[in-house]
This record gives sequence, C-alpha cells and structure tokens, in this order.
Amino acid sequence: MARRNRSGTARPPGAGPAVSGARLWTWLMLPGTLWMTGFLLASLLLVATLAFGTTDPLGNPRFGLNTDNFAALADPAYRTVLLRSLGYALITCLICLAVAYPVAYAIALHGGRFKNLLIAAIVVPFFANYLVRMYGWSVVLSDDGPLLKALRAIGIADDGTKILQTGPGVIAGLVYGFVVFMIIPLYAAMERMDTSLIEAGRDLYGGPLRTFLFVTVPATRQGAAAGCVLVFLPAMGDFVSAQLMGGPDQIMIGNLIQDKFFQGQNWPLGSALTMLLMAVLLFGMLGYLRRTRKDEAEAVR
Amino acid sequence: MSPEAHSLSRRSFLRAGTAAALGLSVAGCGFASEDDPAGKAAEETPIDVKVDGDLVYFNWADFVDPAVFEGFEKEYGVKVVQSNFDSMEGMAAKLNAGNRYDIIFPTAKWSERLAAGGKLRTIDHARLKNAEAVFGGYDYFADPWYDPGSRHTVPFTMYKTGIGWRRDRLGDLTGSWDDLWNDKAKGKVFVLDDRDEVLGMGALKLGLDVTTGDPNDLARITDTLRSLRPRLRGFSSDSYNNLLNGNADMTQAWSGDMAAMLAQAEDPSVFGFEVAREGAPVNSDCYAIPADAQHPGTAMLFIDYMLRPENVKKNIEYIGYPMPVRGSEDTYSALVEPFPQCLVTTDDLKDDRYFRNGTAKGEQHRDAAWTDVKAG
Repeated sequence: MARRNRSGTARPPGAGPAVSGARLWTWLMLPGTLWMTGFLLASLLLVATLAFGTTDPLGNPRFGLNTDNFAALADPAYRTVLLRSLGYALITCLICLAVAYPVAYAIALHGGRFKNLLIAAIVVPFFANYLVRMYGWSVVLSDDGPLLKALRAIGIADDGTKILQTGPGVIAGLVYGFVVFMIIPLYAAMERMDTSLIEAGRDLYGGPLRTFLFVTVPATRQGAAAGCVLVFLPAMGDFVSAQLMGGPDQIMIGNLIQDKFFQGQNWPLGSALTMLLMAVLLFGMLGYLRRTRKDEAEAVR
Repeated sequence: MSPEAHSLSRRSFLRAGTAAALGLSVAGCGFASEDDPAGKAAEETPIDVKVDGDLVYFNWADFVDPAVFEGFEKEYGVKVVQSNFDSMEGMAAKLNAGNRYDIIFPTAKWSERLAAGGKLRTIDHARLKNAEAVFGGYDYFADPWYDPGSRHTVPFTMYKTGIGWRRDRLGDLTGSWDDLWNDKAKGKVFVLDDRDEVLGMGALKLGLDVTTGDPNDLARITDTLRSLRPRLRGFSSDSYNNLLNGNADMTQAWSGDMAAMLAQAEDPSVFGFEVAREGAPVNSDCYAIPADAQHPGTAMLFIDYMLRPENVKKNIEYIGYPMPVRGSEDTYSALVEPFPQCLVTTDDLKDDRYFRNGTAKGEQHRDAAWTDVKAG
C-alpha cells in the first residue's frame, strides 16, 4: 500500500529526477525481493514435491511420485477440521475488527502526544515469545484461574463453567494472539485518513455512529482489509491456541499438520495437508487482491 | 520403499531441494547417501573409554540431576554441553539433519530404528565397570527385542502407562482401562497426546496387540475410543499439571510423571495411580552413542559414571523414573510409596507390552486411525 502512494500520488517537490528515483527504489528492493522469492519458491517447491513422497524406516522423507497422500486427504476428518479452522479464523477476524477499530481510532485521532507511547504499549508485549504468552493466557483462563474465579465471585459463572477446552476458549486465544496485526494497519490507515472528511460528515448532520460507519470505515477499509488478511492467515494455520486452549473438538488444521511433521513424522502427508491449506487460503488471497485492485483503479480514476 | 534405512543429511536434504527445484526429481529416487562400508566398520569399532573432549549431551529436559552433571564435570575435567528434545521424532530429525551429539537417550522403539539405520555406535559392555548391575540384575535387558545383545544400548529408565486420578473427587477406581469411561469424571478426562499410547490403550482394553497395524483391529480400536471422546476434555501429555491445577479428574499418565508429581503435591493422598489389569504398556529409555559422535570415549565414561550406585540413586530421586540397576529398587519403592503401582518389576517387562516398530503400511494405518481419534 505504501507503494501505491508513492506511484499513485504526486511526488513531493524536490524529490529529484523521476528516473533515478525509480531506479534507486528498484535497487533497494532487489536484494530483499530476491531473498524472499528465492526462499519462498525453494520451500514451496520442497513442500510441493514432498507431498508426492514417502517416508523411509528412519522417518526420513523420500521424494517420489505417488498420490497416496492426496488420496488420504479424502478422510472426512480433514474436511471437518478444515471447516472448523475456517470458522474460527473468520470469527477471530470479526472480533479483532470489533476490538481494533475503537483502539486504532482512539489512538490515531485522540492520542495526541501519547500516540507513539500507546502504540509501543500495544506492540512491546509482542516481543515476548508467542508460546509463553499463550501459556500465560491459558493459566488466566483455567478452571481455577483468576478470570473464572472473579466471574464466579460476582455470580456470572458457576462451578461447571469452563473456558479452556471450548471453542470460545480457542478463539479467545487466537484473538489475543493476533489482534495486534489488526490494530497496526487500522491505525496506519486512520493516521493517513483526511480528518476533514469526519468534520464534513458532522456538518452533514451525521451522528457519531453514522459518521463512523459511513465515513471512517469506508475511508479505512484498505487498512481493515490488510488487517483481516494479516489476522486470518496466521489464525488459520495456528496450532498453539487449539493445543493449549482447545479440547478434542477444537483441533485445528494447524494441529494436524504439526502432528504429521512432528509426532507422526509423516512429512509427505503433512506436506499434502499444507498444500490443501494453501489452496484454501489462496482463494481468500485472490479475493483480497481483486478487492484492492478495484480500490486502486477507483483511486486512480 | 527399500527396507534398508538411508540417512538423509542436511546437505543431501538441501541438495534434494535444489534438485526438486530444478525439476530433476525422479520417481523413487531417494536422494540419500549410499551405504558406506567404511562407515559401517567405524560404527563397529570398540570405543576407547577415555576422555576425548567435552560431552555433547542430548536428552529430554530435566532428566538428570544437575548435581550428577557437576560431579562428572569435576571428576573428569570436562564440560557437559546440554541440549534437549521434546519428542523422539524431534530427536531423530536433529540427528538426521547432521547435528552431532555424543550421547542420546532414545526409547526402545527408536533404539531399534536408529540401530537398524546405522546411526549408533556399538557399546562394549565389558569396558563399562558398572554395567554388570544392569545386565546381571535385569536379564531382560541382556538381550532385548529392540537391540539384540544390547549391542548399541544400555537401558536408562523404565516406565509403565496407567491412570492418574483425583481420589478426593472420584473415590476408588476399579483397576481397569474402563475407568476412563467413569461417568463421574465425564468432561474431566484427559488422555496422553501420543498416538501409540492412546491406540495402545484401546488395544489393551479389547485384548489386541498394542502395536497392531491391522485395519480391522484399528477400526475396532477407533470405535471404542469414539465412545470415550464425548467424555474427554483433551489430549495432553502434561498429565500431572492437569491433575494438580484441577483441569483433570482423571488422566492417562506415565508412571514416572506421577512419581515426580508426588514431590510437588501438597497432599499426595488426594491423588491415585493405578495400572489396568488388562495390561499396561511398558517402555524404556536407553543410553546410546550416535555413529558420528565426536567424543564417544567421554560418552562411555559418562554412562559408566551414571551407573554408579550413588548417581543412580540421585537420578531416581530427581526424575521419578526407576532404572534397571540392581540395588536401586529400595530407593525407588521408598520414593513411590503412595503409588506402589509405579514400580516396574521384571514381571512387567514383556515384549508384547512394548510399542514396537511396524511395517510401513501398518504405520500408515495407525497414523490414519490416530487422525480419526483426534479429529473425530
């Protein structure tokens, strides 16, 4: 998106001749792009070819040309788990949107001189290892943990209420794990937003809610779309949340893939599952790309 | 698939990746190094028992009393460089990737696989001063199924699988795997997050072979386990924490973990541990020296040092797992006095109670069954 601004909007005056500027950017981008493309393609090809492979007696993957691994995916268990993962990731996205919008709005438009401090307060906890934070979260949500104790004390929960090993428990973990990926792009979008639009909305007698829904949300929808992608993709592949917060009925596709690679040491089947997951995610990404391209076309026009 | 095992070093794995990237992959081509007769001979050469460098040690976390390490470092003037694995598969993957260790601790099943794959040096027991207490005291390990003649391994610990439960919430149990289906514990039951243990539990309940790879057997096992599923709270190998923090009323558990829990429980009488009369899976961890160990002499000294009676005692008390070393029995029975069923006796050691390596097809069937059990 940053790139669109650079190419789509007028360059600031005094930025030098256009050609050498463009060339500089190309050169600066080259190493990173090559690095990413090279390793992405290499690992993708490895996974793609392994999916047709077998496992030798020591558990080492061997390359081959058999389709057993894809045939094994017909097991209805995989469909159930895949659909469940899609559902969890979608709900996670929606909750993250609901949580992140007010946060980003408050910081971007009313943060004043505390803006950077507030953003740091949100980002710094993410320096701690994801797994450690999730473990901590699972302690907070456990049967004898502080949250349920407090809820029991005020009479909202009873002795039988539990959060761990339930669907909402897993989603709570996912939201907790990934909400920052929604806040940051939304914050960036709101920072860039022309605030006179909000004033215009008010001038036209829009209440705060209407102004928010019909002015702020459309103006920041690119940030929201980026946030959704950033949350949805890792949520879909996550295995930690379902492992720590879920029970037998909350297994996600990430757990199955992790099982194949680690416990079962069946890398070929794990690779086939990964391909399946990627195919599903690709649909989502294509939708996103089409959406942003349309937006870009409109913006240019 | 070829029956002989091929090693796949990190380098050959990368080479394989490149070849695949170039579209050179050929059906059935293994990209593995060929059998190497010189390497075979080196693996068979007896190891000189002497300090030949620092010890690069690879084990489960917290599986040796730190005081024992300190003693070893002091006595032999070496350092112990520690790293840990969290699963047998993870350990094998690290080994296969070309990481070099001097001593590793595979389970019985993995000892067999690694030895068959030419990944282990042979160990001459005659050169270990304290080996007699193991092989003289526990005949079973003189010629175990997983390593004929114990040529590549020395047993380290033994354990069984049973049921740990909250006596204060459920009272007494009946001593059968059926107890996991106990209505009083419904929704508070955990089973281990382990394919072999869970399928093995189902097999024992039905009187089948614990490592069956037969599709009909496995179908019966998954049916049985399906009826357990609505009662399950989860798959977790963190059994004693689940009991301690109240998330579990009952859980499938390894005997050694339950013994270790005794040290942490404020009131051990709240808990119980039973071994089902239908039979309990039994397992042992071994000492082994990888074929590419750089300091095998130090590793031999370390094994010998670990087998000294005073160190065996310290380790048993530290980790809660019994060791097949003559003379250590009293230490362990004192430790697990509240849970006598944690004891592993020579009667428990039976080939058909071990999880063994299956055929490739059988393993595939077991994998699919485990997916069914887990994903339902």
